Amino acid sequence: MLAALPWVLHTPYWRGILVVCAMNVMLALSLNLVLGYTGQLNLGQSAFFGIGAYVSTILVKTYHWNFWLAALAAMGAAGLLGLALAAFAVRLRGHYLAIASLGFAVITYQVLLNWESVTEGVRGIYGILPPRGFGSTVALFYLVAGLAFLVYLVLGNLVRSPVGETLRSIREDEVSAASIGINPARWKAFAFGVGAMIGGLAGCFYPGFVGTLVPDAFNIVESFTMMAMVIVGGMGTMIGPVIGAIVLTFLPELLRGFGELRLMIYGLALTLVVLFMPGGIVQAWNALRARLA
Amino acid sequence: MSALLRARELRKSFGGVRAVQGVSLEVPQGAIFAVIGPNGAGKSTLLNLLSGVYQPDSGALDFDGRSLAKLPAHRRVRLGIARTFQKIRLFKQLSVLENVLAGFHIHHDTPFWKYVVLGATGRFHDEARELLEFVGLGARAAERAGALSYGQQRMLEIARSLATRPRLFMLDEPAAGLNAAEVDFLLERLERIGARGTTLIVVEHNMDLVMNVAQRVFVMDYGEPLFEGTPREVQSNSRVVSAYLGGEFA
Repeated sequence: MLAALPWVLHTPYWRGILVVCAMNVMLALSLNLVLGYTGQLNLGQSAFFGIGAYVSTILVKTYHWNFWLAALAAMGAAGLLGLALAAFAVRLRGHYLAIASLGFAVITYQVLLNWESVTEGVRGIYGILPPRGFGSTVALFYLVAGLAFLVYLVLGNLVRSPVGETLRSIREDEVSAASIGINPARWKAFAFGVGAMIGGLAGCFYPGFVGTLVPDAFNIVESFTMMAMVIVGGMGTMIGPVIGAIVLTFLPELLRGFGELRLMIYGLALTLVVLFMPGGIVQAWNALRARLA
Repeated sequence: MSALLRARELRKSFGGVRAVQGVSLEVPQGAIFAVIGPNGAGKSTLLNLLSGVYQPDSGALDFDGRSLAKLPAHRRVRLGIARTFQKIRLFKQLSVLENVLAGFHIHHDTPFWKYVVLGATGRFHDEARELLEFVGLGARAAERAGALSYGQQRMLEIARSLATRPRLFMLDEPAAGLNAAEVDFLLERLERIGARGTTLIVVEHNMDLVMNVAQRVFVMDYGEPLFEGTPREVQSNSRVVSAYLGGEFA
């Protein structure tokens, strides 16, 4: 079904949206590990997306690395920064962590903007090619969607394993988790690190798809968009963020006909979801099924 | 019997409140050791010091001859120290079974990448189910922990702690909020846990439980040790009686 999508939505425009959608799925999955499963209010995920994009692009363009090696290095760099953010999460909880992680994303954005000798700042980097062999939008979609599916499988295995119970224990009650031998600091670092690596991986494909790279693509607003995808779909479930990412990628496109009203409708839809189905689409679906059964 | 846990001159203050002042105690290996005292006597603080939730301002603490100084709570669990909480702290959104499975955390030796790549799942399902049977929750495994009754939640917390396979198991008011039948069941289970060789420290208000199960009773008042002895000695001690009932009854 996934393979047929580019032939159903066959215009170049919609094929492009499909690529964005696959990237968003990856980003939502990455944030969900930290937010949904480990319960850490992380508003800094846009930073890792940006680091993945910039590190991979610079390594390829300036240092002529092979794309896949550059992608691995970008994941590593994002992962290390994820560990740095985890250092905050060990000391801060709830709203305080949200503010600190937001600050982290702002700093990253400012570095991308102002470190012009490396990132070119607002001038941007131009003429970025997709990875070799994935030059067409359809091929790029298959690649990114395939990787998103792989991420889905890997994280699914992870959260169904004892590691999943450990992470969710920390989400539920840290003192209690420590009372059964779980080291909350260590496992938060694990979740932030893995989440950041996957966010960085998603970032590797963005510049080649757009062709140019400017810091604005990694503004902190992106962090909120990712959070909305996770919440609308259903936090702490595997399929929820996938659904959330698909809905929130296509909804604004479908609302284009409404012109300026578009953002209002989008905002209203978000508010209604949070008000009436706090468990997201997954919870609403389960409730509906239970009622019909 | 040699001492499994030894505390010397433990002190802990919160601001101006001296919650625990100069408590020394020795818990013999294999004993059921009760800690009693009026509300605010410092019993829960003492338990938090022993389990590592708090670090003492001063004093020494060792377990099986090993110093516990500065060791955080999660490290003490690996040495064989487990506890429950006065105010129940379950993982409410997790299922009953998952709560117990989480308790096996320190016993996992499979590296996490094997779960990721091979899709392997936990190896402790059978043991977790046995523990649920043991605390009378065998039929409730799939339910959400938060949906259990108060008494069942207490028993689930006990099962989760037992999953760590403790040598020293500390319970903070396990009978609080239980009805008579539940207290009887709890009492019988605690005796069984003790009979397997696990050392127990029980902070408790319920005198039936203390007098019937404990071999040693440690009485605290105003953060200080007041008396220590067998249940019979405690019952006939005038200082203990006056601490509980007020001076004129002594």
